[in-house]
Amino acid sequence: MSAGEPQSVRGKPKRAGPGLVRRMLPWTCVFLTLLVGLFAPLVANDVPLVAKVDGSYMFPAFADLVGDAPPGPHDLSWKKWWARLPVDGDDWAWMPPRPYGPLETNASMFYDEPSLTHPFGNDDTGRDVLARLVHGANTAVSLGLPAVLLAALIGTLLGAWAALSRGIVDVIVQRLIELFLCFPTLLFLLFTAAFFGSSSLALIIVMVLRFWITFARIVRGEMLSLRERDFVLVAQGLGLSTWRVLTKHLMPQVISSIGVTSAFCMAAAIVAESTLSFLGVGPNAQSSWGTMLRQGSEHASLGAWHLWFFPSVAIISVVVSCHVLADRLRPQVTNSH
Amino acid sequence: MGRWLLIRLLWLFVTLFGITFVTFFVLDRAPVDRVELEVEKASRSNSYVDAKHRDESIQRLRIELGLIDPVTREALPVWSRYTTWLQKAMTLQLAGEGEDHDALWRRLGEALPVTMLLGGISLSLALGCGMLIGVWLGRRTGRRRERFWSAVMLTAIGVPEFLFATLLLLTFSVVWVQWFPAGGLRSNGAEQWTFFWQLVDFAWHLALPVLVMSVAPIVMVTRFVRDAVARASAAPFMTSLKALGVAPNVVSRRLLRHGAVPVATLAGGLLPMLVGGSIIVENLFSLDGLGHLAFRAVLEQDQAIVMAIVLLTSLATLLSLLISDLLHRVVDARVRLTD
Repeated sequence: MSAGEPQSVRGKPKRAGPGLVRRMLPWTCVFLTLLVGLFAPLVANDVPLVAKVDGSYMFPAFADLVGDAPPGPHDLSWKKWWARLPVDGDDWAWMPPRPYGPLETNASMFYDEPSLTHPFGNDDTGRDVLARLVHGANTAVSLGLPAVLLAALIGTLLGAWAALSRGIVDVIVQRLIELFLCFPTLLFLLFTAAFFGSSSLALIIVMVLRFWITFARIVRGEMLSLRERDFVLVAQGLGLSTWRVLTKHLMPQVISSIGVTSAFCMAAAIVAESTLSFLGVGPNAQSSWGTMLRQGSEHASLGAWHLWFFPSVAIISVVVSCHVLADRLRPQVTNSH
Repeated sequence: MGRWLLIRLLWLFVTLFGITFVTFFVLDRAPVDRVELEVEKASRSNSYVDAKHRDESIQRLRIELGLIDPVTREALPVWSRYTTWLQKAMTLQLAGEGEDHDALWRRLGEALPVTMLLGGISLSLALGCGMLIGVWLGRRTGRRRERFWSAVMLTAIGVPEFLFATLLLLTFSVVWVQWFPAGGLRSNGAEQWTFFWQLVDFAWHLALPVLVMSVAPIVMVTRFVRDAVARASAAPFMTSLKALGVAPNVVSRRLLRHGAVPVATLAGGLLPMLVGGSIIVENLFSLDGLGHLAFRAVLEQDQAIVMAIVLLTSLATLLSLLISDLLHRVVDARVRLTD
C-alpha cells in the first residue's frame, strides 16, 4: 500500500471533500464518455426524441440511434418543423438536451465564441462544437468498446488456457504474443484504415489483434502462480471440473488485472482512433475528436481558440482518466517494508 | 549461449515471416484493386485507345502483377503470391511489379537517416533521463514529491503524441510566440553558415520533434526504473549495506544497477513506440523521414512500399529485442541465456 495509508491508520481522519472529488473524477469522466458516446444521437441531435405529428407519435432520435432518422414531416426538416410548430397546436416535440446535430451548419454563427446557447462555441461552418464533441465520443466509443471487450475475452481465455494446460498451447500462445508485440501498431492501423476505407470492422479487428496479447500476458502470468496454490488443489480434490475451478475460483482473482488492462486498452483505442482521424484516414472522419482538433488547429491563427481547446480537453481528460484508473487498480510498489 | 543465439535467430525469422504474412494477408483482403488503379491511371493518360482490347490487357496486367495464373487464368492463392513476394524480398527487390527497385531503395535511403536521428536522440534521451528520474523517484516512493511527479508523468503519458505536437506547434511556432520553426530540418540559406551555426540551426529545428517523440518513452522507462529501484531499496541487502555504513553514493550505484535491469528488457520494446511516434511527428513537422514515406505510401495505396516498411521496421524491432535480451545478460549476472 502507498505510504499515505499509515496516517489514516494512526487515526487521522480522512478528508472527505476534495478526496472524494479526486477519487470520483476519473470514473465520472470515463463513464460519462462511455454513456454519452453510446447514446450520442439521443444526447445531441437535430431531430426530436419524441414527436407528435398529426396525431401519431414518432421517435426519430431513437431511429437515429439504431439506423437512420426518418425524414421530417411535411417535406420540412425536423428542425424547421419544430421551429414552426404552433404554440396551441395538438402537435408537439421533445428535443434532445442538445438540440443541434453534429453536421447542422448555421450561416449566421461562423466562428462564434462560446455563449450561453452554445457553451463550446461554433466552428467555421457554424456547427455546434458541443454536439460535435458528443458525436466524436460516439465514434471513439463505438470503435474502442467492441475492440477492448473482444480483446479482453480472447486474451483472457487464451491466457488462462495457456497457463492451465501448459505444454504445446502455452508455447503457441507465447510465440503469438511475441509476434504481435513486434507489430508496428500505428502503421498497421493506418494502412488498414486507408485500404479498407470507412470499414470500422477492419479497424476493430486490427485493434483486437494488438490488444489481446496484453490481456493474455497478464492473465497467463497471474494464472501460472495461482494454479500452484493450495485452494486450487483442494478444489480439484473435491472433484470440481476445470471450467468450474477457472470461472468460480481463479477468474475472481485476476479480474482486477483485467480491469487495469481494459482501462489501458480503452485509452489506447481512443488515442488510436483520434490519431487516425487527425491524419485524415479515420473510419468516421465527419465527427471525431481527431478531425475536430486538426480543423481547429488550422483555424487557430484566426483566433478561434475554442475550436482546438475543447477537443484537446476532451481527449486529454478521457485518456488521462483511463490511465489514472489503471494506475489506481495496479498494485503499488513502494520502498516501505 | 551459442545454442541460445541460434534458436533465437531461428525464432526471429519465424516471427518475421509471421508479421509479413499477416501484413500481406490484410493488404490482400483490402478492397483496393491494384489493376483497377493501374487501368485508371492509364486511361487518364489515354493509353487505352482501344476499348475492345481492354479486357485482354487487364488480364495481361493481372498476369504481370502475379495475381492470376498465366496458364489457367485462375486467381492465385494468397500463400503462393506471398512466397513470390518472399523470394523477391530475399534478393532485396522490394518494389512492386515493373517498378524500379533502386528508386525505392534510394527513397528509403534518403528517409532512413532522418528517422534514425530522431529515434536515436529520443531513445538516448529516454534511457538517460528515464534512468536518472527513475532512480531519484524510486528512492522516495510514497513521499509527497514522488507522488507529485508520478502524477505529472501519468498526465504526460495521457496526452497523445499528435495532440502534444499540435499544442506545441500552436503555442511555440504559430499562434502565441514564434520561437521555433514549424517544420523542416534546416533554415533557408543555412548552407553558407559556419559549421557551428548550422549545428545550432539543426538542433533548433529538432527541438520540438524530439520533445514530442521522447516524452512517452521517458515516462515508460522512468516508471519501470522507479518500480525496480523501489523494490530493490526495500530488499534486505539494502538494510545490510546501510548497517555496514556504506557511503550513500555507493548505495545509489548499487540501486542504479537494479534500475538498469528493466531498462535492458524495455529498450527493445520501445522501438515500435518510436516507429508510431515518427509517423506522427514527421508528418506534423514535415520532416522527410521513414514515417512520412510510410504515410504517403498509405495514402497512395502503394502496397509494395507498405510491405517494405513493415519488413524493415519489424526487422529492426526484432533485432533490438534480441540485443536487449543480450544486454539483460550483461546487466543482470543472475540471468543465464539457456533455452
